[in-house]
Amino acid sequence: MKRVIHLELGHTDYARAHALQHELHRMRCQGEIGNVVITVEHNPVFTIGRRGSRANILVSEDERKRAGITVYEIERGGDITYHGPGQLVCYPIIDLRDYGRDIKWYIATLEQAMIDLCADYGVEATRRAQYPGVWIGNRKIASIGVSVRHWVTMHGLAFNVDVNEQHFAMINPCGLPIEMISLADLVSDDLPMGRVTEGLLKHMKSIFSWDIVDREASKYLRRLDD
Amino acid sequence: MSEENDKYLHLPDLGEVDEVTIVEWLKGEGESFAVGDDLVEVETEKTTFIVDAPAAGRIERILRRAGEKACTGDRLAELTSQL
Repeated sequence: MKRVIHLELGHTDYARAHALQHELHRMRCQGEIGNVVITVEHNPVFTIGRRGSRANILVSEDERKRAGITVYEIERGGDITYHGPGQLVCYPIIDLRDYGRDIKWYIATLEQAMIDLCADYGVEATRRAQYPGVWIGNRKIASIGVSVRHWVTMHGLAFNVDVNEQHFAMINPCGLPIEMISLADLVSDDLPMGRVTEGLLKHMKSIFSWDIVDREASKYLRRLDD
Repeated sequence: MSEENDKYLHLPDLGEVDEVTIVEWLKGEGESFAVGDDLVEVETEKTTFIVDAPAAGRIERILRRAGEKACTGDRLAELTSQL
């Protein structure tokens, strides 16, 4: 079992969570902390990966701003995606040298945790060759985008629990004309974010052989204000 | 093999990935670097990966440009080692 610190950020501004990831990544690379996993729900944003394009935003800048959506160009792989309320976002900051230095395995493992999470709700989810993420038929329920420097990961996965699909419709997610779906479209259960987060962490714990220890995020967030 | 490693920067083994795309060189031809410096960013499987310097040296010639593909072990750049 590998000890991993879990920080639950709750609703947190994208820029602040991004700054926290960078600080934790720096600390992990310098050996000041062990592996960490962040869970968070963001305000509405579009994030564009290193090889992505603003051309995949399908609405005017005015329309996007009226919807209250900010754009960030960031260092992860992949094209454009949306984050917003009703979406469980998870950022593992872990050293892949502890897991065999295999990027394909890491992505497949993130996918598997979400496939298993769907199965908990009686939903059959799958992978699609050449298109990382988790799919319900031709509709995508979860996206993946990661960056790795000095073998330590940043960014991670975004799982649609009950998102604003009108916001997603303003982009070509991942640069493709694909339709997104939420877990709430598929099940009649109540889906409190805390319970879905627990479910995801349960599967990550099992697959990665983690011993998860919850810690207050405030101590780490305060570092950003110093 | 060590002469090969002194003379060239190779794409490291990233596991079971088929190939990567070069996203951006972070050091240019003629630039010197220290061990651990970021040299080139590649992307595969929705993941960006920074290849860092295994030893100090200088980039003499870039062999794979942004947008080109590479596989594990491929030569990415010709180096002068500064051991």
